[in-house]
Amino acid sequence: MANNLALSVKDLKTFFYTNKRCNKAVNGVSFDIKKGKTLGIVGESGCGKSVTASTIMQLLPKLSRIEEGSVTYYSDNGEIRIDQLERDGPEMRAIRGEEIAMIFQDPMTALNPVYTVGYQIEESLKYHTDLNPAERKARVIELLADMGIPLPEKRATEYPHNYSGGMRQRAMIAMAMSCNPKVLIADEPTTALDVTIQAQIFNLMTKLKTENDTAIMLITHDMGVIAELADEVAVMYMGNIVEAGTVDDVLRRPQHPYTRALLDSIPVLGRGKDQDIKSIRGATPDPYERPIGCQFAPRCDFATEACNVMPDEEFLSDTHRVSCARYKEIFENA
Amino acid sequence: MLTFILRRLLITIPMLVAISFLVYLGLELTPGDAVSHMINPEVANSISPEQLAEMREALGLNKSFFERFSIWLFNVVQGNFGHSLSGGVAISTIVLDRLPATLELSIFALLFSTVIGCSLGVISALKRGSPTDSALTVIGMLGVSIPEFFFGLVAILIFALNLGWLPAGGRLLPGYDSFFDRLPHIILPGIVLSLMMTAGVMRYSRSAMLDSLSREFIRTARSKGLPEWRINLIHGFRVALTPVVVLIGFRLPTLIGGSVVIESVFQWPGVGSELIDAVRGSDYPLVMMIALLSVFAVLLASLIVDILTALIDPRVRLG
Ligand SMILES: Nc1ncnc2c1ncn2[C@@H]1O[C@H](COP(=O)(O)OP(=O)(O)OP(=O)(O)O)[C@@H](O)[C@H]1O
Ligand SMILES: [Mg+2]
Repeated sequence: MANNLALSVKDLKTFFYTNKRCNKAVNGVSFDIKKGKTLGIVGESGCGKSVTASTIMQLLPKLSRIEEGSVTYYSDNGEIRIDQLERDGPEMRAIRGEEIAMIFQDPMTALNPVYTVGYQIEESLKYHTDLNPAERKARVIELLADMGIPLPEKRATEYPHNYSGGMRQRAMIAMAMSCNPKVLIADEPTTALDVTIQAQIFNLMTKLKTENDTAIMLITHDMGVIAELADEVAVMYMGNIVEAGTVDDVLRRPQHPYTRALLDSIPVLGRGKDQDIKSIRGATPDPYERPIGCQFAPRCDFATEACNVMPDEEFLSDTHRVSCARYKEIFENA
Repeated sequence: MLTFILRRLLITIPMLVAISFLVYLGLELTPGDAVSHMINPEVANSISPEQLAEMREALGLNKSFFERFSIWLFNVVQGNFGHSLSGGVAISTIVLDRLPATLELSIFALLFSTVIGCSLGVISALKRGSPTDSALTVIGMLGVSIPEFFFGLVAILIFALNLGWLPAGGRLLPGYDSFFDRLPHIILPGIVLSLMMTAGVMRYSRSAMLDSLSREFIRTARSKGLPEWRINLIHGFRVALTPVVVLIGFRLPTLIGGSVVIESVFQWPGVGSELIDAVRGSDYPLVMMIALLSVFAVLLASLIVDILTALIDPRVRLG
């Protein structure tokens, strides 16, 4: 079964310890990413999307740690339990950049200002390939050209401050793709960019996915982006995945009240300005004082006593799963 | 880059002229003029006022202030700094004679404080919160708050008088002037002179390094699978270097000022100890010229620092 999987996360818990208080930022998350497919992860700010991504790359800050669960990477030479590797040890370093690469939210700060873009891309090649310096230079130029950057020979010798935001993000993607990783983690790659550039970046990612069979984990809070790009989607709320499935499952037949509220809160193009956009009432709870049961219960219109215990995950089909005590009743009423 | 240097030079010139003007004004305000210093007090009474006026005329002293200033400035630019009052030796000769010792001491102190200060700062930042870090922080606080001459005296007491490891003063003994003969002499004064600067550089490079390590490009570098030393030094320290070089530039004047004290504590035959002698002997022209030259040294140093900053930070080069 595992041979079409690229990465699998099981019951992952990552906690932060600050001032002797514990923030269960990721509290039991499971998902698989398949080769050549895109898994979208959506959720409000602070729900643990970035922490999940950092956990997979072992890029967590010092005051946090993997509490439980597993992260398994299916390499060509067998399974690797990433959660059991030493944080910055040689095995982990061999995976970073070469097997699993990451693109960050803000291209303005993610590149080192004192080195040329070409140098920073070349650095990855130096540590993960046997290419000689001349071959590396040629490969950098080829990568920049692939990303649609004009005059790549000249651009490679320029510094990040000579690049526009969109071009920096392309350079970041070039860097991430330089060693043909099997998994690409994109943490809100276009949040800092305008809409036309956003479309170009997504076209680029789709092209890479089909050409290189890269598995993509796409983090976003934009349901529209999910509908466009993802094959599967996981909806996160306060450190849990509340609903997951194929894009059809989740967007067409949403089961969890949170997923529905999320879908109701986005305007639909063409429906005019009188459309009924509902914002979700209340605010996300204090991450240090989380509700005991269903995390969404305090804001949920359908919450009852049954919601005071953490709901089990139930499968509606092979692909579609939901964690809600009352989804059956609510669904009938709707 | 060349236009950057030229523009920077153009800013420096008016500053130099303004400071020379202040120095000249200072010379003018000192009691007496050249003629009164040329005459032996014992024969002063036998010289008639007419003779004095003639001498002044011959020296151009009755010209207007600005005329005299321009003539003086013209001479200074050509390296003609006038004469010392004691013995009438040309000031340029005195300075040229003393300069190598001072340069030797300052460059040693500069190199020591840069290399040791940066290394300790980086170690402190990388081991943040460890006993090493706390110890270095305390040492750094002491270093910036205790005056240098105190360190100088304590160092002489311990390392020269009690332990006898190093000479207490002087620069070289006649006949012993190979590099290894000279090295023991410079160690005490050089290190003492650089202590305050070393402590400053250490504290500053620690915080610059911590700042740079918390930036996002460090996470990017780590996500590429680079080894830790490369992340810390090639990415972290390289970015922290710019503010540290700027700080060193700002602190250079204290090094030049400090050398006056340290040179006299260690009887180092440099420009600084000459300055102290000149002040004691009320040799105003010599004092003023040494002051002017130190200002010049500070300006030159800050010019070099600016060029260095532009070289190491690609974002400055455009500006
Ligand atoms: N470096 C950190 N130190 C302490 N707590 C952190 C840190 N990073 C994240 N957290 C906490 O972990 C939780 C999840 O944060 P995370 O950054 O994963 O959210 P996110 O879903 O990525 O949000 P966004 O959409 O705003 O990026 C939050 O409660 C946050 O306060
Ligand atoms: Mg995030």
